[in-house]
Amino acid sequence: MSAKDYIAEKEKCKGFLTDFYVDGGRKGKKDFKYAQQLVSIAHREQVAVTIDLDDVSEHDPELAEAIIENTRRYIQLFADAVHDLLPDYRQKEVIHKDALDVYIEHRLLMEQRVRGPNAEQPRDARNQFPAELMRRYELYFKIPSQQKSLSVRDIKASRIGKLVQVRGIVTRSTEVKPMMTVATYTCDQCGAETYQPINSPMFMPLLTCPSQECTTNKSGGRLYLQTRGSKFVKFQEVKIQEQSDQVPVGNIPRSMTIYARGETTRLCKPGDHVSVTGVFLPMLRTGFRQMSQGLLSETFMDAHSIVKMNKADDEEMSMEELSEEEVQQIAEEDFYEKLASSIAPEIYGMDDVKKALLLLLVGGVDRSPKGMKIRGNINICLMGDPGVAKSQLLGYIDRLAPRSQYTTGRGSSGVGLTAAVMKDPVTGEMILEGGALVLADEGVCCIDEFDKMNETDRTAIHEVMEQQTISIAKAGIMTSLNARVSILAAANPAYGRYNPKKSLEHNIQLPAALLSRFDVLWLIQDKADRENDLRLAQHITYVHQHCKQPPTQVNPLHMNLMRRYIALCKTKQPVIPEALTDYITGAYVEMRKEARGSKDSTFTSARTLLSILRLATALARLRLIEVVDKEDVNEAMRLMEMSKESLIGQTDTAARPQRAEDVIYRIVCDVISEQSGRSIKYTEARQACLAKGYTNDQYEEAIEAYEELNVWQVNTAKTKITLV
Amino acid sequence: MPGIDDWVNLPLDIVQSLFDAKNKEWSNNVDGFFKNRLSDFTAWQRIPSLNHTPLHTLKPNSLVRFRCMVQDMFDPEFYLGVYEVQNKSSNSTFLKTGKYQDVAECSRDQLINLESRQNVTWDRQTLYCVPIPAENEWIKQGYAETSQQMTCPPLDPSSSSTSRVKRALDIDESSPSASQDSSVTPHQNGGEVAMENGGDAEKRSRTTDGDEGTAGGGANTTVDLNFPIPGEKGTACLVKVYDQIDVFRVAEMVEFVGVLSVDPSLAHFADSEQESGLGDAVESMECIEEQNAHSPPPSLVPRLHVIASRKLSHNNPHIPDDINSIMGKSLVENTLKEAGVIRDQLRWLLSQVLLCDALTADYLILHLLSSVYARREVCALGKLSLNLTGIPQDPEFVATLYALIEQLVSKSHLLPLTLSNMNKLKLTPKKDYTANRLKSGLLQLTDRTHLVLDETALQPGQLDANGVMNLAALGNIISWQKVDYDFNYHKTEFHTNVGVLVLSDAKSILPTDCRVHLQPKRDQVNMTEVKASVQEALKSGTINLDKIRTFLEVLPLLEYTMSEDVQKFVEEDFVEARKGDPNKMTPEDFQHLLVITRLLSLSLGQPSLTRQIWERAKRMEAERKNRLQSATLPASSAATAAQ
Repeated sequence: MSAKDYIAEKEKCKGFLTDFYVDGGRKGKKDFKYAQQLVSIAHREQVAVTIDLDDVSEHDPELAEAIIENTRRYIQLFADAVHDLLPDYRQKEVIHKDALDVYIEHRLLMEQRVRGPNAEQPRDARNQFPAELMRRYELYFKIPSQQKSLSVRDIKASRIGKLVQVRGIVTRSTEVKPMMTVATYTCDQCGAETYQPINSPMFMPLLTCPSQECTTNKSGGRLYLQTRGSKFVKFQEVKIQEQSDQVPVGNIPRSMTIYARGETTRLCKPGDHVSVTGVFLPMLRTGFRQMSQGLLSETFMDAHSIVKMNKADDEEMSMEELSEEEVQQIAEEDFYEKLASSIAPEIYGMDDVKKALLLLLVGGVDRSPKGMKIRGNINICLMGDPGVAKSQLLGYIDRLAPRSQYTTGRGSSGVGLTAAVMKDPVTGEMILEGGALVLADEGVCCIDEFDKMNETDRTAIHEVMEQQTISIAKAGIMTSLNARVSILAAANPAYGRYNPKKSLEHNIQLPAALLSRFDVLWLIQDKADRENDLRLAQHITYVHQHCKQPPTQVNPLHMNLMRRYIALCKTKQPVIPEALTDYITGAYVEMRKEARGSKDSTFTSARTLLSILRLATALARLRLIEVVDKEDVNEAMRLMEMSKESLIGQTDTAARPQRAEDVIYRIVCDVISEQSGRSIKYTEARQACLAKGYTNDQYEEAIEAYEELNVWQVNTAKTKITLV
Repeated sequence: MPGIDDWVNLPLDIVQSLFDAKNKEWSNNVDGFFKNRLSDFTAWQRIPSLNHTPLHTLKPNSLVRFRCMVQDMFDPEFYLGVYEVQNKSSNSTFLKTGKYQDVAECSRDQLINLESRQNVTWDRQTLYCVPIPAENEWIKQGYAETSQQMTCPPLDPSSSSTSRVKRALDIDESSPSASQDSSVTPHQNGGEVAMENGGDAEKRSRTTDGDEGTAGGGANTTVDLNFPIPGEKGTACLVKVYDQIDVFRVAEMVEFVGVLSVDPSLAHFADSEQESGLGDAVESMECIEEQNAHSPPPSLVPRLHVIASRKLSHNNPHIPDDINSIMGKSLVENTLKEAGVIRDQLRWLLSQVLLCDALTADYLILHLLSSVYARREVCALGKLSLNLTGIPQDPEFVATLYALIEQLVSKSHLLPLTLSNMNKLKLTPKKDYTANRLKSGLLQLTDRTHLVLDETALQPGQLDANGVMNLAALGNIISWQKVDYDFNYHKTEFHTNVGVLVLSDAKSILPTDCRVHLQPKRDQVNMTEVKASVQEALKSGTINLDKIRTFLEVLPLLEYTMSEDVQKFVEEDFVEARKGDPNKMTPEDFQHLLVITRLLSLSLGQPSLTRQIWERAKRMEAERKNRLQSATLPASSAATAAQ
């Protein structure tokens, strides 16, 4: 291995710092990125310089390579280079920022005065002082952007001395302490100053004065440490641990020590997800520890940058452009079915439910005409008998959605769902902690056992579902948080099983106001159906035997691919063309009429229209087109229709549509039983029925019909109904 | 070529000689060499085992084996893989490897050059291993017996004095340059470390004495050995793994063969450090707790540098490791042939203890055979957690039943669900960030451990937060066969394969797969008599305990198939059953029935399902459900009568 010519390398560094520029700065000028920074450093306006290795490799690819391989050395070279260059960049008198500035200047002046007349030594006076003392700047490297960040697990011995980037979660961070980098001593005999650069955590103080005066006179001057003249840097030790998704199954997460100095301190606290760039180095041991450790050496990472990440950033990093091939794989003719069936492939059937869930993932388009905000997120409520894989569907969506929160209605209070004001355990400050809905902002919030939630907690969701915000007024903090979430809820019927003879509100004990906020309500029922059962049985036996999916016609798409495709879909903002509006309004009016006319256990309201629009735009997004098609609207309406059908026309026995009379009879009975009497005022009963959307005629017909059946009696004045 | 004793006693010499061959592949050669030597299973068994041999009778730097569970994984260690040694007198240099050892070594007139350019740093992984938790006594004895037959006399644990003499002789015989004299303390000297090799004898004796002093009484130490089940005994070990770092998983059963290292300089002396005041935070990256956890004294927690390893699918010493080997196949065949007989014997035994309740005995057999064979998404297939209800009040009953189970299965643990247990015990492992290690919990168990929960011990009272979490953890392990290890910032799911049997009076608070109500056929029971009769049967040899154990251990490992005919029949049956009322046969019921038939089929020695077995399973299920109904009915009618 031939030793490198580091002097030449240093020249290269200098060249890079002075010559590198980015085109197209302001007014098409050349933007000398680093030269400008050097100016501000010279004026003590900036401390840290971050050298982007992308820039370096643009300038000199070999140099960039060398930096990554031998970072420690190049930091030194660059620092020297900056040091040499700085005087050229000083344009004005520098204002002193702290004591050390003054101290340095004094030393420089003194040195000049001593040597002033001595023309034989014209060299720069500063050379006598250790470079570390004079430097008031810090140099950091930024790893090339194409280099992926590693997990702690990937940092092997072969990476020692190299620049690496690691992701992890901070588990421990010490207080920031001063660490001595240059010790300054004064001699009690001759008064000369001696400097000692320190690189290790421990050092042996100098004792005898090495100055010319003392050594020649053999006066044996003693040295005393001078705190004011020494240089300290901020120092913090941070411990990071692998993120849970980086740990192979059955392994324990690994951890790593990070040393943060200077400007990289105080950038994170325990619990933060961080991405750290730094040099992986072995620890130098001295004294007793070195002996006892024998062959071992501890390692640490010298941080160059610590960046706090939130969950979303994290995912973006792994997001790559879809390749041609993958688009091909998706964009087949039946891609809609294919995508839908790739959702929870282990759950058999339920094609339409899956389609609806797919649209929920993609989401409709947000719109804000004239300041009014209309949400694009689609909310879905799945209802059904126990054990119809509702929870599995939720669980799958939770895993598939790039951003999601899973919670159960029973387990979380309103506070846990929305936001809480908490005391930070570390700092003691009051902080606003986002609940599940806030954390799932721009994502999906899956709420299982929606019906088991407390009444008070449910109200918190009302605001989220329509306004997409959460307002907080607690402990002096008043704010509104964004919660642009799609809610996917699962609820069990109130009496164990869904009773088709009863209305929706009766079955799921949720207020109509909340139910109407769901775009799609779906009832999943466990029905006996020969063909279905057989396929189910085949499915189960197959899984039990081979412990994998039975081969289907369509191969389920990989989760990651789905995720990326959905992300791609979300970038589209399709609009509804003018021509379609008439069609949609026509269809809506038709639906309203239909709903009024017959069996009514669901609502058709203006919200239904919005839901159709949302579904249609989501469908358009899914096809990656800019304009909504008539097809999309039709499919959206079909889905709505199917969801309604799932609520109404279930089992064979209940196929008969409910007549208005029957419903009115039940309403009246309910009102009577609520009052725990046997009779009710005629007008009161009418009021109850009108409130449910029945006309007066229908009401009177029903009363008459049931009177004929001798179920109740109406007194002659028509003021009172009494049950027989 | 060195003989057997050489490669067992002086493995490091072999490593060094292979290293000296200057072959790039030397590391593979080392693996190959030892693999070759160990391919013969008897050779493997001749290696002294750390499990039942007292530590002080084992020779440092010799090969030992250790049967254990991986409890924790520490961060990787970086060590000098290759280092340069300089001969002081001749000034010649040569390279040595630091692989498989903790301490650099050289003789008195040699120096280690730490600054050499030829030094290479490598990494290795440290695993913290503990003896397999909940291992039953008969297994331990079995291992001790088999290896007693195999190991050569000088290393016989029963005669430690002779072995000491033998070792002293070894030292005398060895040449001065021999590298097994490793317990030397390096002295710092500038950038180089000089090693001295003086005073072998004294040092050696000091070391061994020290070992004796502490190793015997493992209980009275302050170091927490972090066993999952509190109060268990045995040696924990820091296992250093080279090359294949990521193949081991937490809570796996592994047998390691490696170089034993007990160099006392490895210990971290926390007290002296504190007194001297030098161990401040900047100087050492680890705090005191961490150092205590990571560098316990080697006399208590020896180090093992792994040369070979094998994962254990079971821990019964009488069954070949691989049931697909020739020996294993014949054993399986025999077991299958006799399955009917063995099953009847087992059934008789269990029904004796279960007060002549044959149906419950049948279900208990199925439970003992159950094992997770596959996972689909979140579901674990093949598990069958059992809840026995209607347990008599007599406390002897549970004790007798467990005593029998303990005799039958290789790993089991009885956990009385008392309030104090629930509130105080640590069931789930939790990461301790100050000490940087995983605090073990009782549910950190290896596969196919049988956990018996005695709910009859539960009294009404207050559960605190810990108790509720413990209860949830138990529920998780029963329903999903997973334990959520607590990493403070997040929880990580670890899969388990633990059979859970809950004994309770009425329906358990824990969600089990299957509930069987005990119906004693005998009214007057005296558990001591029952116990006596069972012991009598075992002693007299009418019941072959070994065969039953093999039966329980081997059958779950077998392949189970379902022919297409039967599959169709089963599917039709499901459809038919749902025709009448879908509630009578939900998909869950069907899955449950499939598990029952699988286990029943295996227990009858038929690894392929037949219609008869399917029908039989259905009959069993019907009878069980009938019983449950009749058991709850009188209770509820009694309750109404009381009102």
